[in-house]
Amino acid sequence: MNLKFVQGSSYRDRTQEFISITERLRKSLPSLNGSSKPDGSRSKVAFQTEFNKRASKIGYGIHQTSLKLAKLAKLAKRTSVFDDPMVEIQELTAVIKQDITALNAAVVDLQLVCNAQKENESVSTDTTTHSTTVVDNLKNRLMGATKEFKEVLTMRTENLKVHENRRQLFSANTSKDSSNPFARQRPLANKSTSKASASPPPWVNNSSNSSPLFPRKQADGESQPLLQQQQSQQQQQMVPLQDSYMQSRAEALHNVESTIHELGGIFTQLATMVSQQGELAIRIDENMEDTLANVEGAQGQLMRYLNSISSNRWLMIKIFFVLIVFLMIFLFFVA
Amino acid sequence: MKITALLVLKCDSRSDGSDPVILANATDVSHFGYFQRVTVKQFIVFVGRTVAKRTPPDQRHSVQHEEYKVHSYNRNGLCVVGFMDDHYPVRSAFSVLNKVMDEYQKCFGDSWRTIQADSTQPWPYLNDALTKFQDPGEADKLLKIQRELDETKIILHKTIDSVLERGEKLDSLVEKSSDLSAASQMFYKQAKKTNQCCTIL
Repeated sequence: MNLKFVQGSSYRDRTQEFISITERLRKSLPSLNGSSKPDGSRSKVAFQTEFNKRASKIGYGIHQTSLKLAKLAKLAKRTSVFDDPMVEIQELTAVIKQDITALNAAVVDLQLVCNAQKENESVSTDTTTHSTTVVDNLKNRLMGATKEFKEVLTMRTENLKVHENRRQLFSANTSKDSSNPFARQRPLANKSTSKASASPPPWVNNSSNSSPLFPRKQADGESQPLLQQQQSQQQQQMVPLQDSYMQSRAEALHNVESTIHELGGIFTQLATMVSQQGELAIRIDENMEDTLANVEGAQGQLMRYLNSISSNRWLMIKIFFVLIVFLMIFLFFVA
Repeated sequence: MKITALLVLKCDSRSDGSDPVILANATDVSHFGYFQRVTVKQFIVFVGRTVAKRTPPDQRHSVQHEEYKVHSYNRNGLCVVGFMDDHYPVRSAFSVLNKVMDEYQKCFGDSWRTIQADSTQPWPYLNDALTKFQDPGEADKLLKIQRELDETKIILHKTIDSVLERGEKLDSLVEKSSDLSAASQMFYKQAKKTNQCCTIL
């Protein structure tokens, strides 16, 4: 019994034992074994066992690969912005890719063997159907594994994009907050220099080298010191700008695009708010109409009252008479 | 943010050290004193020649020299050099150089290749370009667009603030109008009551 590691899969290879047993049997039963038929049957059996062994190896390999794929999927899903296991993921991706290609080759091999077996010998149809079914099954499983792999890769690239966006959002936010948006060149230059890896050292070198010159510079009488300094100290540093130029252009375009996008969002928000407020205005209008109706009704009532009061003079005189009579009686009784 | 000088030179790619030949020159030395202007011009010519000589063909270079940045762009032996200060954005600088180069090639075709001595004729376009491109937004459309977009965004933010205020005012108006409607209803009921109850009198 020996453990072998082939293509990342492990299996126990007991063919040696099997071969030794068959040898022993052959030696012990020489009479039963003929010449061609046992050879044919042995070769058939050998074929079948070979086929089965290969098929089981491939199946096991596919199983291992799908396990690794599940691990990769979990890793890809759980990536956060700062704790990115990029190296691990890349290693795992490479290993899985290798596995899948090897398994693909093995399945193709197996299929060839199965076809050869079909064509060469007069084996039973059951065996051929069985072998073809096994090969198809293996192919399907391998295809499933490849599809999963592709999905995991797309998910990983999406995650990376999201992280990039989030990182850009954070860096764009800090630069926007700190500086006046009109003077946009400075944050842009800062961002582009922070992103272009080749440029920070030359820029830093430039600034550190030119700063000792600044205290010596006066606003007037520049040209004389200029000439002298130029002759004495040639502080020229060539900055390779070719690709950082292109990069800065590309970045500027990205910025423009994202700004336009934001503007679009702002406009949408504006439209939403205005429509909501439109509804408020309608409510106000209804309330005012109600008020108008109520006030008109009340005014009508009061007019009627006024009319009844002003036209009821005869009744009022009578009422006053009755009142005065009562007052008289009251006064008489008291006094 | 200003451009101090723009130079167009013909530089040979031969490494025998022959100095590039000046084809056009435009300088703005108004901020130097009167007596230093000539020296400054000579200095600009010298530095421009050196930088152009050291710029390999089909490449862009930027050199920091004291408080100036010298940007140079060499295309097929025709080199445009610009002296800008530190605040001038690099991208706009190179777009200025590109524009000048295209314009020069349009105007003069390939005749510059035969010129051997420094030409002293002023090229009006270069002078105009110098004044026009003092504002980097003119040269670099992207920068201009970005600037305008930022202004628009600020205006939109103000608009949204005023819309929010309007929303608050509308809210208060809604409340007041509903109060008014309730009060008028009470008023109506009261008037009806007074009318109904005093018919006996």
